[in-house]
Amino acid sequence: MTSLRKLGESYSFILPSLIFTLVLGIYPIVWAIRYMFYDYPGYGEEVFIGFGNFASLMRDEAYWNSVVNTAVYAMGKIIITIPLSLILAVILNKGLKGKNFLRAIYFMPTVLSTAVISIVFFNIFNSYNGILNQFLLKYHIISKSIDWLGPDLAMVTSIIVAIWGAIGNYMLLFLAGLQNIPDDVYESASLDGANASQKFFYITIPMLGPVLQMIIMLAITISLKGYESIMVLTEGGPIGRTEVMYLYVYRMFFPISSSSTMIQQIGYGSAVGFMSAIIVGLITLGYFWLSKRLNRIF
Amino acid sequence: MNTAPATNTAPITKVGRRANRIFSGLILWVFLGLIAVFTVFPVLVTLFGSFKTNAELTAGATILPSVWHFSNYLEAWKQADFAKFTWNSLFISTFTTIGTLLLASMAAYAVDRRSFFGKSLYVSLQAATMFISIGAVVIRPQFELMVKLHLNSSLWGIIFILISAHATTFFILIGFFKGIPRDLDEAAYIDGCNFFSVYWRIIVPLLKPGLGVAALFAFRNAWNEYILPLVFTMTNPKLQTLTVGLADLRYGTTAATQTHLIMAGACLSILPILIVYAFANKSFMQVTGGSVKG
Repeated sequence: MTSLRKLGESYSFILPSLIFTLVLGIYPIVWAIRYMFYDYPGYGEEVFIGFGNFASLMRDEAYWNSVVNTAVYAMGKIIITIPLSLILAVILNKGLKGKNFLRAIYFMPTVLSTAVISIVFFNIFNSYNGILNQFLLKYHIISKSIDWLGPDLAMVTSIIVAIWGAIGNYMLLFLAGLQNIPDDVYESASLDGANASQKFFYITIPMLGPVLQMIIMLAITISLKGYESIMVLTEGGPIGRTEVMYLYVYRMFFPISSSSTMIQQIGYGSAVGFMSAIIVGLITLGYFWLSKRLNRIF
Repeated sequence: MNTAPATNTAPITKVGRRANRIFSGLILWVFLGLIAVFTVFPVLVTLFGSFKTNAELTAGATILPSVWHFSNYLEAWKQADFAKFTWNSLFISTFTTIGTLLLASMAAYAVDRRSFFGKSLYVSLQAATMFISIGAVVIRPQFELMVKLHLNSSLWGIIFILISAHATTFFILIGFFKGIPRDLDEAAYIDGCNFFSVYWRIIVPLLKPGLGVAALFAFRNAWNEYILPLVFTMTNPKLQTLTVGLADLRYGTTAATQTHLIMAGACLSILPILIVYAFANKSFMQVTGGSVKG
């Protein structure tokens, strides 16, 4: 009897959390799984079409363009963010003067709103009257305004903004990982005459191994899913150059701003969302598998 | 002068080594400085920009405003409705934080202190919600649910959805539970406490540091949330939050974009968080740092 009562107590403490998770977290996914087999624009009749949405998805060039863009966006962000934040973490892990202050500075972007800071970045990078162009023109570094948000550079600019928001976060993750490397290893390496870069490549990187892998995996998933910053900065434009996967998903359901128009596609959009989740999952698993194999070789 | 003989035998290498050290130190500080400038630049642009006139913002390449226009804030607060946006953001963030902490701490308490059928299933479910995302798709059924519950015309719809994403807080708190000895629970039971009063009288007071860290995290997430309130307030501008109202200002109903108001509004959104961060940056960093340990 007492054990039954204990069980009841336990469940009653889980229940509020469970209800919220099931109703607002799981039910919407089930809802989407149902609708991805339907042709349903959001009003009127729901028509069951089986895998019809996925067949159209395979032919949807705009979507696959967004997948390619997502890959470029994520790669660009990760290739620059990970080494930079790792170097920062290594520098700030040691007894440098003012390291706590610098850590706080570098981590600051993480606490600020992505949307708000992307609006600020829009004003910085704007080609007409943008703050950056004005500075560069004033000090004669450039002679003509650079179209930072134009077709050629919009992706680069979006990646720069993404890097801005990410460096501090990954620096901190690396710092936590570096705590696990004992100091004696570095001390004995110093006695053997190893210099800073030797210590970095022969001690830090190998001993960080599993943590490094995990952080890169985290970075991949996060970067593939991100779209808030791009939505505010470029709206996926110009001419779809910065359209990313999850922004495309968003577009199937809601307009970008209250004043813009859109074509709602509930059924098709659900299929797009599901496909995007699968792509993220596959890439993450692929990386996981690859890093395990590379581990065995080296 | 013990070092004198050594200096005599190899004066060049010592000077060379010293120059080398100064040089590499210089490179190090230039590197750290450049990244620091890159990091604070947009924040300074916002801060100083919020005191400039629209003309100065769109025409001049200055860092500091020539004249400090505090009236931008007044204008944003009154005419651009930022008083309402701020109130909405504050309301959402406060109740989301309270709800998230309550749900997550109760669940973490049961999961950490008891064993019951379906426990690992529950934990995996929470973990799954953190990693699997089908994007904005879920907002549509969430919205329909809120319409059915008549919560779509108030801020509670947004608050409930934000509370439902409490998995991260749950895992943060589970970490802090490990630091509260079970002996205390046992002693309290002997003194006549039950499962609930142990939670309320023993666990919650001892969990305060963890709850504080988790509260910062939850509040910041709710305060910074953009897409959910954007979608929910599209037909109901009265409920717009700071992030949404600010973005809306960019698309502006008036012909010319009012950059000075955007900057003042952006400041209203980032300053509260920055001030809290200045005092509690260690706690903010603890959440991120803790997630890879072990």
